[in-house]
Amino acid sequence: MDDSDEALMARVARGDERAFRELARRHVPAMLGLARRILGNATDAEDVAQEAMLRVWTHAPRWQPLALLRTWLSRVVVNLCLDRKRRAAWVELEAAGEIVDPAPLAGESAEAAERERLLAAAIADLPARQRAAIVLSYTEGMSNAQVAEILDTTVSAVETLLVRGKQNLRRTLATVIDGDKEK
Amino acid sequence: MNNEQFQSFLDRHGADLGRWPEAERAAAERLIASDRQARQAFEAARRLDAALARHLQAQATDAAAAARVLTQLGGELPRQKMPLWRLPVVLLNWQFAPAWPRLAALGACAVIGFAIGITGLDRRIDRLDGQSAAASSAGIGPLVFEPEELTGARP
Repeated sequence: MDDSDEALMARVARGDERAFRELARRHVPAMLGLARRILGNATDAEDVAQEAMLRVWTHAPRWQPLALLRTWLSRVVVNLCLDRKRRAAWVELEAAGEIVDPAPLAGESAEAAERERLLAAAIADLPARQRAAIVLSYTEGMSNAQVAEILDTTVSAVETLLVRGKQNLRRTLATVIDGDKEK
Repeated sequence: MNNEQFQSFLDRHGADLGRWPEAERAAAERLIASDRQARQAFEAARRLDAALARHLQAQATDAAAAARVLTQLGGELPRQKMPLWRLPVVLLNWQFAPAWPRLAALGACAVIGFAIGITGLDRRIDRLDGQSAAASSAGIGPLVFEPEELTGARP
């Protein structure tokens, strides 16, 4: 039996719950990671991933295979994250510090831990769309054209987001970047 | 390519020159080889890229969070939204089995009615209707239009 995403979606469109759960098992971890990097908050990321998958279920009969399911799903997740960011204030500095995985920092110096905390805070302070463009570009390995498709904008608009985002990060992280140079 | 353009390309495409457009890559390599400021910008971009990639990749999803979401999705699912263009397909797939006798009766009535209309079995009824209408109008006329016997007044 064909178990590609598209074949599963065709079954989901006919109300096949088992096919839906297989799709969820396949895509939830990646969508959860994407939401967490954009939102900087694990609890909100779980809500977004769940909501995105429920949209897959409810909208499946209307889904047209014009793009890869993964791309469409990423777009849904990014839009839900941006909506959530518009509604709520940005994550506080302390909360942003908590999202860093503490495991690799355990054996490192306090200075390195402080650099990671500053980096997390600087990323959390970026405007939502700049942050989304940077996350998609750096963690999903997407080209600027793919990022534009997910953000539903043009390639030049994505490049503007990346340029402004990195200018902001350079301003905030001058000491962090210099610290990496000295290592 | 000058230093300002080089910095703009670094921000747009990152420090991995392999991801740059072919046309700009050679000019960038020449600039890096010949200009000290360009080399510094290139090294700074590489460090920023490495820091971002390291930090963002560290926020990997934990299996427990994914399991929680999958458990939530394992419950009852909401009703799916059906597009209008799929309605004919839905109707064709509809299970009519329990209603077949009623549908057959309805169809038979329609066929009988059509046959009566086509063969003219209903003409005699029309004619009867016409005769009865004429008789009824003749019977009522004198009562309505004849002058009154006593006064001779007409209505």
